[in-house]
Amino acid sequence: MRRPLYRDRGVVLRTYRLGEADRIVVVLTEQRGKVRAVANGVRKTGSRFGARLEPGSHVQVLMAEGRGLDTISQVEVIDSVAHLVDDLDHLTSALAMLEAADQLTLEGEPNAPLYRMLVGALRTVSQRGGPLVVPAFFWKVLAAEGIRPELDVCVRCGADAPLVAFDMDHGGALCRACRSGAPLGADALGLMRDILDGRLNQALAAPASAATHEVAGHAARAMEHHIERRLRTVAMFERL
Amino acid sequence: MAAVYTAPVQALIDELGRLPGIGLKSAQRIAFHLLKLPAADVHRLSAAINDAKARVRFCQRCFNVADGEWCPICLDERRDTRVLCVVEESRDIVALERTGEFRGRYHVLLGAMSPLEGIGPEDLKMKELFARLEPEGVTEVILCTNPNTEGEVTALYIARMLRPFGIRVTRIASGLPVGGDLEYADELTLGRALEGRREFATDPAAP
Repeated sequence: MRRPLYRDRGVVLRTYRLGEADRIVVVLTEQRGKVRAVANGVRKTGSRFGARLEPGSHVQVLMAEGRGLDTISQVEVIDSVAHLVDDLDHLTSALAMLEAADQLTLEGEPNAPLYRMLVGALRTVSQRGGPLVVPAFFWKVLAAEGIRPELDVCVRCGADAPLVAFDMDHGGALCRACRSGAPLGADALGLMRDILDGRLNQALAAPASAATHEVAGHAARAMEHHIERRLRTVAMFERL
Repeated sequence: MAAVYTAPVQALIDELGRLPGIGLKSAQRIAFHLLKLPAADVHRLSAAINDAKARVRFCQRCFNVADGEWCPICLDERRDTRVLCVVEESRDIVALERTGEFRGRYHVLLGAMSPLEGIGPEDLKMKELFARLEPEGVTEVILCTNPNTEGEVTALYIARMLRPFGIRVTRIASGLPVGGDLEYADELTLGRALEGRREFATDPAAP
């Protein structure tokens, strides 16, 4: 019986080795959500898939539906990983976002907004990088999931006082009287407001500083709080 | 499910079935093939497995598989000690040796960094690599990890760590497989092949 073929666009989130020369490829597709598919022979040097199915690759795929796993039949590249894999910072940024996207999605549940945000963020990493691409992606994704931290007034008492701490258990920033969680600097607070209040480009242009480092820390903790597990990529490269 | 075969046969099938890439049917086929063989052949196989398991260990210097403290490549004094080739697995050394193009020494990492699986630099033989460079007078490190994401992360990470050493660090080139067609090459590979193109000497006498 011929299995039905379908066409979709997607980003390769991760791969697993399978048997001698195959891989299972996890793709976040636009229409079908997360799909696990087998790429036959992809690890051989002569494979016609080549580098098209490496993590971070944005591709147009033709897949055959299977009982358990689908099978990848053809792949065309939309955005290649060329500028992700030629720089350690770009690559680690991309991997951190792919890991988060993988953890956030379930198979068979379409999540087109996440797909679009991931494609945009990966393009930003390839084109210019920067210290806040990953944190901005994390905050934007969390906001889309309905988790948007309170950054304007104290989340506990509602006072319009200077905010000096940030605690994801409470859901935002806190004033001096209510403070708990991690300390929050004024510059970092400004950057987080930029990210979430529509001044994303301004935030992405910020050079690396103690404040961007702080924002990155808060974003990673918030993402880990939401998915209820540690992000391995973030833990591994935090000290680089 | 009740065991259909007598216990020794079933035990053999179960053990064979644990090997990578061997399923139940293959395990049965191999088990019955072994039972049909002359006893001497079977003993040779079991002796080879026991012998390999008992004698093979990792070279103390480069972590290649060896039957003594050092592997044959580290013992070979004609090897160029100034060039060091970093690979993921011992199998890669065999592949590189078959080319006959490399006369330096190797360093096996015993894996590659895989952030998504939580395999970091401390799980590999990285410290051992950095510790070798000065005593052995290495002037060039060739990063020969696989050209996939794990291999690239590993190579980029080592390159960054080697910056303070002031050693020449090179990455194995990627390009088109000989015997392949251009039209089937993916963009990244073809792009890199173009980037790494070489001067083509039209006149063989010219330098």
